[in-house]
Amino acid sequence: MKVIASVRSGISSSFKALKGVVVVWLFSILLVSLVAMPMRSALKAGLGDSMITEKLAKGIDIEVLADLGSNFKSLISYFSSGLLMILITGFLINSFLAGGLFNSMKASSGIFSAGEFFRSSSKNFWSFFVISLLICTIILLMLILIVVIPVSVVAQSEISSEGSVFKTVFITVLIFLIVLTLLFLVADYARAWQVSKEKNACFKALGFGFRQTFRTFLSSFPLMLVLLAVQMLYGWLVLIILSGIKPQTGAGILLLFLLSQILFIVKILLKTWRYGSVTRLMELNISTSITQQ
Amino acid sequence: MTKFFTILFAGLFYVTPSGSQIINKKPLSVRQTGYTIDATLDPVTKTVAGIMDAYWVNMSTDNVEDIQLHLYMNAFRNSKSTLNIESGALSDKKDSERGWIDIPSITERNGTDLIPAMKFISPDDGNLSDQTVLKVLLPKPAGPGDTVFIHVSFETKLPSVIRRTGYKDDFYFVAQWFPKFGVYEPAGMRYETKGAWNCHQFHANSEFYSNHSLYNVKITVPKEYIVGAGGIQMAESASDKTDSTKTLTFLAEDIVDFAWTAWPGYAVFTDQWEHVKITLLLPKERVEQVTRQFTAVKYALGYLAKNVGPYPWTYLTIVDPPAKGNGSGGMEYTTLFTSESSYIVPEFIHFPEMVTIHEFGHAYFMGILASNEFEEPWLDEGVNTFWEERIMDHYYGENSGMIDHPFLKVADKSMGRLSYVHSEGRQAVSNKEYSWNYPHGTYGMMSYNKTATWLYTLMGIIGEETTNEVFREYYKKWAFKHPSGKDFVNVVNEVVTKMHGDKFGRDMNWFFDQTLYGTGLCDYKVVRIINNKVESPNDSLAKSDSINKSRNVNDQFYNSIVQLERVEEVMLPVEVLIHFKNGEEILESWDGKSRFKDFVYNGRRMVEWVKIDPEFKIRMDINYINNSLTVDPDWVPVRRLTDKLISFMQFFISFISL
Repeated sequence: MKVIASVRSGISSSFKALKGVVVVWLFSILLVSLVAMPMRSALKAGLGDSMITEKLAKGIDIEVLADLGSNFKSLISYFSSGLLMILITGFLINSFLAGGLFNSMKASSGIFSAGEFFRSSSKNFWSFFVISLLICTIILLMLILIVVIPVSVVAQSEISSEGSVFKTVFITVLIFLIVLTLLFLVADYARAWQVSKEKNACFKALGFGFRQTFRTFLSSFPLMLVLLAVQMLYGWLVLIILSGIKPQTGAGILLLFLLSQILFIVKILLKTWRYGSVTRLMELNISTSITQQ
Repeated sequence: MTKFFTILFAGLFYVTPSGSQIINKKPLSVRQTGYTIDATLDPVTKTVAGIMDAYWVNMSTDNVEDIQLHLYMNAFRNSKSTLNIESGALSDKKDSERGWIDIPSITERNGTDLIPAMKFISPDDGNLSDQTVLKVLLPKPAGPGDTVFIHVSFETKLPSVIRRTGYKDDFYFVAQWFPKFGVYEPAGMRYETKGAWNCHQFHANSEFYSNHSLYNVKITVPKEYIVGAGGIQMAESASDKTDSTKTLTFLAEDIVDFAWTAWPGYAVFTDQWEHVKITLLLPKERVEQVTRQFTAVKYALGYLAKNVGPYPWTYLTIVDPPAKGNGSGGMEYTTLFTSESSYIVPEFIHFPEMVTIHEFGHAYFMGILASNEFEEPWLDEGVNTFWEERIMDHYYGENSGMIDHPFLKVADKSMGRLSYVHSEGRQAVSNKEYSWNYPHGTYGMMSYNKTATWLYTLMGIIGEETTNEVFREYYKKWAFKHPSGKDFVNVVNEVVTKMHGDKFGRDMNWFFDQTLYGTGLCDYKVVRIINNKVESPNDSLAKSDSINKSRNVNDQFYNSIVQLERVEEVMLPVEVLIHFKNGEEILESWDGKSRFKDFVYNGRRMVEWVKIDPEFKIRMDINYINNSLTVDPDWVPVRRLTDKLISFMQFFISFISL
């Protein structure tokens, strides 16, 4: 019952914070454009006024990319350094904006206010940054412990068969996904708790996140599982849609761009839905425990 | 003595199993050599003990004083072998994992001990530590028509899998395992000016050059082992009282090498293509690959039979080794070859098919057309790669022969071209090099990919049907013989002249001089399109004519110039497609010899775009981008690409930032 209520509340909260979602989208497009635009220019410069772009009409053509020669190396260089920059900056910006989004998810929060959004973002930045960083580090460690090491051991083993390697990959990835779900819960609970407090206390928040995840496991885990499953399904759907559409005109390109950005805004909405649902479930659980006391 | 042996040989030829005609009605080759081997695998010591009776017929007019044998397995005996110096292959092998071949006894058929007459030689590099070529001085020179019989007992210690041979646990792939005759080349054969043995050491990149032979091989292995081998299995019997081993007898005719594999974990599948029974051995867990393997090999059989010549054997064995025996994957032994797949290979990745088609192709290019891989690797690997790429792209998609995914499509021929045109060592040497002389790791790129790329270019110039006819003629003339590069070039010249007269000149040597024997690059470029507005010839009249003046006001006259350039050394004839704004098109021909070329057009039309080689026939061109130019570039694909990149990066960042 609590789970359904939380999911419902999450949906309404995410729509309530639509302006916040737009802010996140705006930052995202600006950030990515910093890398994509120079790449586009480099690609144009490499292709010159050639008709070879015809070969790109059906998608990526490795012969064309390779024939770019030094321009291709520049492109790869732009991409790799740009991607690193985007990863770091994107991580920082998202840690910052998540504070505002989580604050908007609180039951006590009223109508969306940009001032309040950014105030909360800046107030919670360091805590959110540390929480995100630590959880990401734990995820990476878990990936190594749960998937990489066992699969390597099985692959190296002289007695194991080929099938057992792939079965190990399948099983360990499944376990990792379960752990991932739990770690997302910890991160979300920690951040939801943090925004409800006056002072920054990231480690206390993390402690709360872990406690709350396992104390309310039966309600929290299915909730997160559903939310993540929807997000993953959506991500896969977007991949299919965006990859499948190959417009051949300038107008078509513009429409594709608009569609992709709408799809991305929906993706942020889904994430906000997750934030809202977890926040609501936390609030419900806390109020229940207070009532019981 | 000579007569005695000739009679004996003739008698044996018809009486012994190795000489009898069992599989094909007529011998496919002259069968200058033949082998009867009784081999026993010892899984404890990882050795194969063998007794071999072999013959070599002196078909030359020379008196030959010696015989020369390949002892390939000695390449793994010590770290100073030529193969190891070239590749460092043994660097991670313990002593117990090394391999060798010992010959405790070798006699002539009459019992003369030849051990004192044995001597290791190193004809390629003089490396005294290399023991991969054995010279045996005959007690009496073999005269023209004489047959030399030898009786050899040998013991082969298998290495842990390396260079497509050896063991791993209970898996065995047994290749290059017995003493094998080199090829005696009389004067006039290939490039020989006087008769000599052609018996090269085992090198990192080459191992094949042998006579087409008869093989009658008995293999004894533990009972639980499943065995695959070149040839046809003629018999199977329990071989000792305890019934712990079994002996299988294989007969193979007119093949250049005999290899076999044994492993208890194989699952065996069979299929039929026309007259050919195909046997597939692969790990039991890999059953999902069975259809893919059979389909691929049938494609290759059909395509090569149609465009080159018939596959003459009635049998074919494909071995898809288990992961632990991966080092034996991707190798050709004629009528048996190894592929390379895995438990899971997504359908859109055609790598296993590519390996299967490539290795099968060697049945033609090296197996039937037994060129010298040591000396002319391009004629073996390069020609075979050309056909592999054609087959892959023909059956799996012209643009998706290698990868066929909605997000990415890659043609097999693209992989080959890119490997050559963007390689730093593309001009280091020409294709006319012995396999071990390619510097700086350029062997693969040069032998496989440069050759395939210039063969595609040749096909672009002379046409697909002429190319197929070249190979049909090459097969007709040289099947079950030893063709050389010049023989191939001669066939090209004959067929092209026959089909096209002097359209391409007196012969095609100008092409081969630049591609096969040259190191130059090919690059054609559209430098500029100039559309000058000029006065129409009628304009001067029109100025004084009020009626004409009003009629011609929107009828602009242009002097258009298209400037082309040959950037690099290689000169090839190219087509140039010129497209005008009004939709008209002109296809021009340029012999491609001069550095610069201008095409000039005057009229009421302006040039919109120009393409050199619009159908990408000249695959040697190192840069397709500068092959065309337009006055109105279309950036839609670029915008689409970058816009999608933006979206994917947005999603990615959102995902990783919790």
